[in-house]
Amino acid sequence: MAENQKQNYLTHPKGIMSWLLTLDHKRIGLMYLLGGIIFFFLGGLLALGMRLELAAPGNDFMSNETYNNVYTLHGAIMIFLFIIPAIPGALGNMLLPLMLGAKDVAFPRLNLASFYIYTLGALFVVYTIISGGVDTGWTFYTPYSTTSTSNVIPMTMGIFIIGFSSILTGLNFIATIHKMRIPGLTWYKLPLFVWALYGTSLVQITATPVIAITMVLLILERLLGIGIFDPALGGDPVLYQHFFWFYSHPAVYIMILPAFGIISEIIPVHSRKKIWGYKFIAFSTLSIAFIGFLVWGHHMFTSGQSVFSQIVFSFITYFVGIPTGVKIFSWILTMYKGQVSFTPPMLYALSFLFLFTIGGLTGIFLGAVALDIHLHDTYFVVAHFHYVMQGGTIIAFLGGLHHWWPKTMGTMYNQTVASICCLGVFLGFNGTFFPQFLLGLRGMPRRYATYDPQYAELHNYSSFWSGILGLSIFIAIMNLLWSLRKSNKLDPGTNPWGAMTLEWTHTSSPPHPHNFEKDPVLEHGPYDYDKVVVEPTFKK
Amino acid sequence: MSEHHITPLKTYLVIAGALFCLTAVTVWVSYFDFGSFNIIIAMGVATFKATLVALFFMHLLWDDKKNLTMFIMSLMFLGIFITVTLLDTGFRGGVNPEVEYPINKRAAFYDSLPLTDTHGNPVDEHGIDSHEGDEDHH
Ligand code: HEM
Ligand SMILES: [Cu+2]
Repeated sequence: MAENQKQNYLTHPKGIMSWLLTLDHKRIGLMYLLGGIIFFFLGGLLALGMRLELAAPGNDFMSNETYNNVYTLHGAIMIFLFIIPAIPGALGNMLLPLMLGAKDVAFPRLNLASFYIYTLGALFVVYTIISGGVDTGWTFYTPYSTTSTSNVIPMTMGIFIIGFSSILTGLNFIATIHKMRIPGLTWYKLPLFVWALYGTSLVQITATPVIAITMVLLILERLLGIGIFDPALGGDPVLYQHFFWFYSHPAVYIMILPAFGIISEIIPVHSRKKIWGYKFIAFSTLSIAFIGFLVWGHHMFTSGQSVFSQIVFSFITYFVGIPTGVKIFSWILTMYKGQVSFTPPMLYALSFLFLFTIGGLTGIFLGAVALDIHLHDTYFVVAHFHYVMQGGTIIAFLGGLHHWWPKTMGTMYNQTVASICCLGVFLGFNGTFFPQFLLGLRGMPRRYATYDPQYAELHNYSSFWSGILGLSIFIAIMNLLWSLRKSNKLDPGTNPWGAMTLEWTHTSSPPHPHNFEKDPVLEHGPYDYDKVVVEPTFKK
Repeated sequence: MSEHHITPLKTYLVIAGALFCLTAVTVWVSYFDFGSFNIIIAMGVATFKATLVALFFMHLLWDDKKNLTMFIMSLMFLGIFITVTLLDTGFRGGVNPEVEYPINKRAAFYDSLPLTDTHGNPVDEHGIDSHEGDEDHH
């Protein structure tokens, strides 16, 4: 055992260059995780800055211009530098080959290239921040983005570059899923996280080129005055929104599908029960990925697009709710009569179910044209997308981090602290964002630094709870990092939750540099709790 | 995938010849005016040429059919994007005719109204821009 313990991907090989030039998917995953967490922290600080400004009605410590910069950077960093790259990049990279029984992804060099392309794009964003920021909102709507004097070009260049990282990762994952499965691991025996990554990758390679070209067109119009979006030059400003949302609505599924995948892993393991409706969940992933391409116009109900498109988009939007509902009910039925244990990952999964459902249902409100004309650009929309993106994606991400932490790092965090933090996140989150639904319904517009005094109470409340939320996430991550201290190593055979996917049953924790010491042989399906008993093992 | 197809040089030359001929066709038809069919004919020829390139030069005809599927799927998504966007631009005037055309100085909307600046004062036909400077102190 002692010999084994030394042979893990974290300690072998050694040296900084062995990390920077690594082709090991696990190390690349960790580097993405580090990058993602850094930007999560930065985006989080910007958010707390905004909440502090909004605690009282006036311009308390930010000018309107500063506020515009802060919310733009918050949104762009969270979406383009954290949520979109971090889950596929970190958890996806880390787990996909392990779940398939493979030695690595199909194209390891391309994988490293994706990471450095992401880093390069991130540097552009950092440059934007240092050189004075950008104030257009994360959506870069024309005509403001073609006329604003802030740093639109470096920011959009950064997003253009990061897009390639996303495309290459998607391509790599698709090839890996098709080609690298061990014998016997047929499509319907794949863990659902793999299905989720497959759906995500399809969206990444089909939608991302569109955001890239959108950014290029924007830059061309700004630099060379080519009339694409400016009506005075023969362009059409609404066309910009078509371009942008043709990518960005599918992109919300790049954000949420991996989260669905994580939840589909956590719930059966911590309920010790076979997943209910495997095929329903697998195919709802694909149908969400597809329907997601047909609904972009629901972001444009007040843009002046034709009434005919509004009706079509509104109608199709409701269809998204069906596969999403299928998943929610499948998860609930999985827990039904299971032995649910309230471990930290499971607490996050339960929070996810609650919060994501609120987010999804309010999405249906917004999909109704008549209602959206009132609610568009109010805090109701802000609350909606935070319920899905933070309450959904980020909470699932935290849950996944806690679930696979013992696997990837070989240590166990303090579970009591982790559970208390999860509670803090849940309460802090609802305290922050629920009032924003009410604010939106009462007409508070988004993207303003100041507001009328009648909104003060709800804003104040929201700001207070955002502090609790920020603090809880911070402590949760510190708790994970604190577990890494030397004295805390687990036995490499540890499988603390008694999970039965290959990454738990056939590799050590942390895994061997080449994943599996001998070629794994598939003995059972990923969720066969009704057929096989895998005892949780947890030794120091 | 396992067996690698080797294309005879002759096939490449025939296809290249076809592409040149089709280029000539594109140039030739540009001398006639088919009205609104101009764009359809031009794009039709171009699409046919692109198909030849994809099938023969890019080997999609002989490759694993998954590659062809991927290729067709991306075309399908492009199709969705263009068609559904046309549902907007093609029907803009459906309820409010004044939004049928893009907002520029020659749009139908402005033809039906006397030209005014943003304060409602009449302006001459040289357009709104010429008055920008001196209207500020109202
Ligand atoms: C049940 C499925 C969903 C439906 C029906 C839905 C519907 C909508 C609608 C109609 C809007 C436009 C509101 C407006 O601007 O007036 C919107 C905004 C938004 N949604 Fe959703 N949504 C759903 C799920 C999601 C998910 C899963 C995510 C992300 C993980 C997401 C992220 C967003 C974002 C970021 C915006 C605001 C973008 C902006 O203007 O800045 N939505 N949603
Ligand atoms: Cu959307």
